[in-house]
Amino acid sequence: MSLLTSVKSELIKTKRSSSFWLSLIGAGVIPVIFLLIYLIRPDKVVNQMKAMPWETHFFQGYQQFSSLLLPIFVILICSQIPQIEYKNNTWKQVFASPQSIGNIFFSKYIAIILMILFLFLMYNIFMILAAVIPSFIHKEISFLKHPINWAQLFELNLKTFISLLGIISIQYWLSLRLKNFIAPIGIGLALLIGSMMAFGFGWEHVFKLPFAFPLLTLVNLPKDGSSGHALLNHEWNSIGYFVFFTILAFLDMKYRKQRG
Amino acid sequence: MTANPVIETTNLNFSFKSGFKTLSNVNLFVPQGSVYGFLGPNGAGKTTTLRLLLGLLRNQEGKLHVFGKDFASNRIEILSRLGSLIEAPSLYMHLTAMENLDVYRVIYKVAKTRCEEVLRIVGLDQTGNKKAKQFSLGMKQRLSIAIALLHQPELLILDEPTNGLDPNGIIETRELIRTLNKEHNTTVLVSSHILNEVERMATHVGIIHKGSMLFQGPLSELQQMKTRQTALEVQTNDNVRAASLLAAHGKADLQPSKIVLPFQGNEQTAAIARLLVENGLDIYAIHPQQNDLEQLFLDITSAN
Repeated sequence: MSLLTSVKSELIKTKRSSSFWLSLIGAGVIPVIFLLIYLIRPDKVVNQMKAMPWETHFFQGYQQFSSLLLPIFVILICSQIPQIEYKNNTWKQVFASPQSIGNIFFSKYIAIILMILFLFLMYNIFMILAAVIPSFIHKEISFLKHPINWAQLFELNLKTFISLLGIISIQYWLSLRLKNFIAPIGIGLALLIGSMMAFGFGWEHVFKLPFAFPLLTLVNLPKDGSSGHALLNHEWNSIGYFVFFTILAFLDMKYRKQRG
Repeated sequence: MTANPVIETTNLNFSFKSGFKTLSNVNLFVPQGSVYGFLGPNGAGKTTTLRLLLGLLRNQEGKLHVFGKDFASNRIEILSRLGSLIEAPSLYMHLTAMENLDVYRVIYKVAKTRCEEVLRIVGLDQTGNKKAKQFSLGMKQRLSIAIALLHQPELLILDEPTNGLDPNGIIETRELIRTLNKEHNTTVLVSSHILNEVERMATHVGIIHKGSMLFQGPLSELQQMKTRQTALEVQTNDNVRAASLLAAHGKADLQPSKIVLPFQGNEQTAAIARLLVENGLDIYAIHPQQNDLEQLFLDITSAN
């Protein structure tokens, strides 16, 4: 119950903050590009969209989104929420309020995850709109003649989200630790690019690198729109990293000598 | 000191780095219903003590009791009964005054009407949609006080609340502290480095210097001590001659531009003036020595 109150207090703080806009912009970039392609050059996509338009649309969307843009926005959101306290010098007031350290830690964590889920939700809504709107204008685009494959869409979202859990926990810990918001973002981007290179070289241990997980999930997505696939090795690893770094970050906050 | 203490620390020791003690054996005793002025120059250990009281620093040595309970094992209960303002204002600059209060309103579980009430108390009820970043420093400080008051705490811990305020703001804050103390029986622990300010609002005083408590007790006790320690300053057109004339009135200390005598009362002052005038000296100034914090420290340390 009291955790709920702390989360509520956290969400008030995100009002008009950059994390809200980051989520919205992050969700909008790829769908806007798709919308423009469908509107301006429908002839380029009409053929490949004929058989399974929604499946192809969602698959191609995630292919663009989760390779780079999504992890970057996740890194930014993770750093923005703790940064609200650093920037305003408000940690001391938070720690001097009657909340357990657990509530302070997890309420921010939940706020971050809610913000990322909001990003996912808005991305999906924008993607659907990017398909529906041009269908009214260009009759040859066949989205309206086919039902949305909800099972595939759900699995795409779920697997991508799970692949991000490792990054989320590491970035949250870094952002709590480091006062300067550039530092966690810089470290996150360096790790992300390093992992992409390791993937590019086909390193056999790449499935152990948390920042490579979204990419690994992406390349293993079924192109045929099928669903019901089990979690892959690296996706389990992502959950493992998440548990480990969450505990580490919590203990770090709990046993810190100096707060605020 | 018979009243129940709201805050009591026993032999509080703290060091940021090993070897250098920021606090050494601090025994703070804040009686219930008092306005306790916590006095000391910058870097004396005031903020460190207050941070320990709020659990912002981990206690290293000594006992820390608030409302008669051990802090470490009753942290949340104690924090829910006190309001605090530590150092610079801690506000969410992208939020309005009301939204800033909302952040804490849900945590302290207070009614929305209480927010309007505290904004009225600190005079910020007309700020509407204005964001905190557009506030003047005085307004920010007042909003921070409003947050501290939100849940009608039994104890207020204010760290230099008048820092950066204009004279008007200082007087208003002082009045507010007095009113809260008298009308709501709120115990207030307020730190300051200005003796004058503390004398005007405190009922009890604690003086800390280089991490140690130099004095602690009711304000009246401090004032008695001060009178005992007060000196009289005399400036004339011929200080050397004046000093020899005044030798009869206790040991006159001849300093470069003045003579300093132990103060013995108004009659003595009048007698000195008469003596100097009768001997044809021009008196430029004759007044009790300014008792600033620095002087007070010297006095107390020499008295100890």
